[in-house]
Amino acid sequence: MSDIKRWAKALTESADSYKKYVGSWEEKIGSFLQFDPEAAQADSSGQGLLAVIPFGVKDNIAVKGFNMTCGSKILENFDCPYTATAVENLQKAGAVPVGKMNMDEFGMGSSTDNSALAETHNPWDTSRVAGGSSGGSAAAVAAGQVPFALGSDTGGSVRQPASFCGVYGLKPTYGTVSRYGLTAYASSLETIGVCAETAGLTRDVFKAMRGKDIMDNTTVEYKPSGKDDVETVAVLKAGEGDLNVDVLRSYKTSIARLKDLGYKTVEVELPTLKYVVPAYYVIATAEASANLARFNGIRYGLAAQGAETPSALMEETRHSGFGDEVKLRILLGTYVLRSGFQDQFYHRAQKIRTAILNDFNRIFESADALMMPVFPTAAFRHGSSDLTQLQQKAADLYTCSANLAGLPALAVPSTIEEGLPVGVQFMAPAFEEERLFRIAEKLEAVFPAQKPEGYSQEWKA
Amino acid sequence: MDKNELFKTAALAKLKLDDEEADKLAAEVSAMLDNFSAMMEADVEGLEPTTQTLQKENRTRSDSTGSSNLSNQLLDRVPEREDRFIVIPNVM
Repeated sequence: MSDIKRWAKALTESADSYKKYVGSWEEKIGSFLQFDPEAAQADSSGQGLLAVIPFGVKDNIAVKGFNMTCGSKILENFDCPYTATAVENLQKAGAVPVGKMNMDEFGMGSSTDNSALAETHNPWDTSRVAGGSSGGSAAAVAAGQVPFALGSDTGGSVRQPASFCGVYGLKPTYGTVSRYGLTAYASSLETIGVCAETAGLTRDVFKAMRGKDIMDNTTVEYKPSGKDDVETVAVLKAGEGDLNVDVLRSYKTSIARLKDLGYKTVEVELPTLKYVVPAYYVIATAEASANLARFNGIRYGLAAQGAETPSALMEETRHSGFGDEVKLRILLGTYVLRSGFQDQFYHRAQKIRTAILNDFNRIFESADALMMPVFPTAAFRHGSSDLTQLQQKAADLYTCSANLAGLPALAVPSTIEEGLPVGVQFMAPAFEEERLFRIAEKLEAVFPAQKPEGYSQEWKA
Repeated sequence: MDKNELFKTAALAKLKLDDEEADKLAAEVSAMLDNFSAMMEADVEGLEPTTQTLQKENRTRSDSTGSSNLSNQLLDRVPEREDRFIVIPNVM
């Protein structure tokens, strides 16, 4: 899109008005934890596909020159000494990280309300959440503060906020983007992903940041089949009990559009879907309990004062440094891994993981891609008045299945319902991201991402 | 989960909980464990567990040295140190 050329002025000839524009949105939505276009500008090549394009980085991804807080008090003042491979790859392509985006603490949440450091609001309606956990990333893109922002997706944390804010959100195939520099939450599920304002930019960013990396032994060779065109799209059956009325209407619109665009659609079911949320939370919390053991007040981050033993130092630091949701997940993860409980929880969850993968493989035998909802509701209000924390977790079913299976998935803006954007999600076999981009571009020609009131790229604010 | 079990689990996780917080967390952990019990209905007979979806084998790297110039910067971020030693409370 030609829009990207205009973005190249944000840090050069339009720098002053661009900064003012970002600042005026910051007062309304609070998407950034840190905004400083100069902090890492010298580390970008300044030339390439994304030359001088500003972007945001979720605050659990390392960028030298910025802090890395993970939205937590335990890392509140952590000055990051190195840069994640994915960010470095984008810097080589010319892009410039301009700030760190707010998030649910350590990526644990669906609203960004679990950030211990700041509040983020949805640019479409500031009484509502931007989604999470990459809420700051999605909100900033929707408001036109940056054309794209990196997030991390462990169970839907890029796609759900993208859907809530009306932008594109990609969770790549597991292992295609290096996790070096991403603060680990659930290592076997999570990937660095991207929120972006167009389908084409989502593709460009993915291509620039992916690649095998000696610093991450789970990265793999990129080996797509070469069959990029999509003819048949499987459509997950969803009805009134599954989605709220607005999202169901939006979903039906997407089905009709696919048919209008000439795709062959086939309705399918995923028998394992009802088990994916418990399986996902067992695996995610188990891995989190191990990964978050490193935050103990000894080597970096917060350290409790006055502790008299090493154990007391750890216990006190974690007590005062972690928020409620993080404590809940550490306790759950520790419990399911306790001796005697592993067969009942962790091993069973891993077998369900095989079952959902088998479900997807069966669908992809006769379809090139699969369409699913992203989330059963549009952006909900702050607090638990619309959805309790438990309901928010249960609502992860459509997104977390892609993480369990390691497959690529893309959230695409589909409609505006009652003034709020609603997205839809496409999944494909491993390495077939190009199929997702092609469907998204065809849909984009019919329905491009809409902009909230106050959006501008003229930076005259 | 009763509070006894909760405190036992919290001790394993090196996490101090105060009483008020423990009441709230005990209820939340129990609600999630109820949710987990839905997995018991799933038919997993004959299925192998999946730990990694794309990479089935272990991967090793060559046993060689590399340079990292981060050590001083990492030491600068230690909460308490003496020279290049990290200070923690007395073990005994």
